[in-house]
Amino acid sequence: MKPEDFSSYWLQLEQELIRVEPAPECTEIPLRSTPEGKVFGLLLTSLGGYRIFAYYCVPHGKGPFPVIYRLPNYGSVVHIPPFEERCNHISIALCHRGQRLSDEPFAASYPGLLTQGIESPQTYIYREIASDCLRVMDFLLTREEVDHRRISLVGGDLAFWTAAMRPQALTLFYTPSMFYKSLQKASTSSHYPLEEFNDYFRAFPKSRKQVETTLEYFEPMNFAPGVSSSTMMMEESEGDGDDLAAAFGREIDRCTTYHSSFRDGVRQAQWIADKLKTGEPLLPEHWS
Amino acid sequence: MNQRAPSKYGTQVIKPDDFDIFWGELLERSDKIPLNASLTLDSMRSTEQVEVFEVHYDSLNSLRVFGWYCLPRFRPRPLPARVFYPGYISEPTLPKAHAEQGYATFGAAPRGKLRSNRQFNPGYPGLLTHNLVDRQSYAYQGFYLDAIRVIDFLTEQPEVDSERIGIQGSSQGGALTLVAAALRPQVKAASVGAPYLTGVVDAIDLTRTYPYEEINDYLRLHPQNRDAMVKTWNYYDCINFADRIQCPIIVYIGLQDDVCPPETTYPLMDKIQSPEKKLYAYDGHGHDANHHVHDQVVDTFFDNQLKT
Repeated sequence: MKPEDFSSYWLQLEQELIRVEPAPECTEIPLRSTPEGKVFGLLLTSLGGYRIFAYYCVPHGKGPFPVIYRLPNYGSVVHIPPFEERCNHISIALCHRGQRLSDEPFAASYPGLLTQGIESPQTYIYREIASDCLRVMDFLLTREEVDHRRISLVGGDLAFWTAAMRPQALTLFYTPSMFYKSLQKASTSSHYPLEEFNDYFRAFPKSRKQVETTLEYFEPMNFAPGVSSSTMMMEESEGDGDDLAAAFGREIDRCTTYHSSFRDGVRQAQWIADKLKTGEPLLPEHWS
Repeated sequence: MNQRAPSKYGTQVIKPDDFDIFWGELLERSDKIPLNASLTLDSMRSTEQVEVFEVHYDSLNSLRVFGWYCLPRFRPRPLPARVFYPGYISEPTLPKAHAEQGYATFGAAPRGKLRSNRQFNPGYPGLLTHNLVDRQSYAYQGFYLDAIRVIDFLTEQPEVDSERIGIQGSSQGGALTLVAAALRPQVKAASVGAPYLTGVVDAIDLTRTYPYEEINDYLRLHPQNRDAMVKTWNYYDCINFADRIQCPIIVYIGLQDDVCPPETTYPLMDKIQSPEKKLYAYDGHGHDANHHVHDQVVDTFFDNQLKT
């Protein structure tokens, strides 16, 4: 159930974030730059004065360029954006606090991150991680080389929250991850990362109510009415996202995963290219 | 769907004359190092069915290496074991679910992975090109040996039947599986998905996708080091370990894999000596290698090899 103070909770985060000077620092990484474009290491200050890192890739040529902003998955390592994507988009890949390259002073544990500070919505680590995601979006909107009307978000729940709180994103390619019906799904799984919730309940059996309360602030269904971006939701199985789709209150594009990184990757690239109007996407040779 | 002919591609990988001497000396050095293994029960991750332990052991160059070790609580007799080797960017597996099925399980975390990175941390990207031009100090030297010492750890455990150890992994985990199967012949069975670190000098011409792209990045900046890179990699390429593999082995790939090009798997399969080897080549799949479906094949394979 959506908490009554859901909006004020996130508004408070925005108010805290706006008081933090982002202090961007963009340094080329010659090792990663190519004849097609430059790769920069971008540092920004986020909530709590935490310095976060992102790969910021800018193609050669005359901008402004459309953007693909990749929000990170659950794990310590974030890849440099794909070469093919970097050739004709600005590509940016965030390493949120705790992930490698953003792991000073806080290095996340895997498993462990998913329940860190979960006893309260105010202390939950994902509140700060959400601010990291927003910070990058705000950076993009300050850049002359960015086409502000053609920004595409790609990722799991972090991308979803970002789309809800930054309507400037034209499109969202979303794959539900850990926060959609999280406890319901954890109750039928012993696989990580969802198993982290089960571990937590075994260790702190009286905490269930508190955890449920915290997670309601991060449940994508509670963000859905605020997402105005053109959205594609890729579901694990048919019907899996029915409740979330209904929560939008409007039509969105939906598909079911092929369980093939090739076929899912081609579909994603084509959908984004269609929405950003960038023509036929450049794909890895093995996908052609 | 697949228009190319990956099985016909061939390979530029050459096995150095002193390959066996090189690894023989390294194994001799490594084998002299006592494991000094410590096991600490992780109460938070343990369940009514499974005990979870944090393991640390010594490895080459005085590094302390981590791993997850899971045991079913009910174990009336020595258990078959399964080792899970990690991918390049993935976290070490905490293989609790497979322990529930009656296996002693081990999630390996070679040097540089989280919990094994206090003394060695080249990063990601970084690991693949760390000391790339010197086979004596190349990052994967210790990394490979950390992986095979997991087998030594399991062999020491009284609750494990050392005659029934199976090993598995996909991508980099597949590569570590190949190396461990080659260097530890007591391994009973192996499963390899989308093998990485296989046909590396071919792969960098075939793909622009990371992690192999790390080497292309490196060579763009240091083109003069190409020959040294190739020379190093001939000592580490899984194709050159393959003729030592004798155990039953299954390998699965996606024919549209842009991360570990399928072309590199065929020369590997040609070299594997095991009389029981099988390749599953899935058209319409990329680096996932159809694991969504194939995982059941892997489980059945190990049940047949290790539980009967």
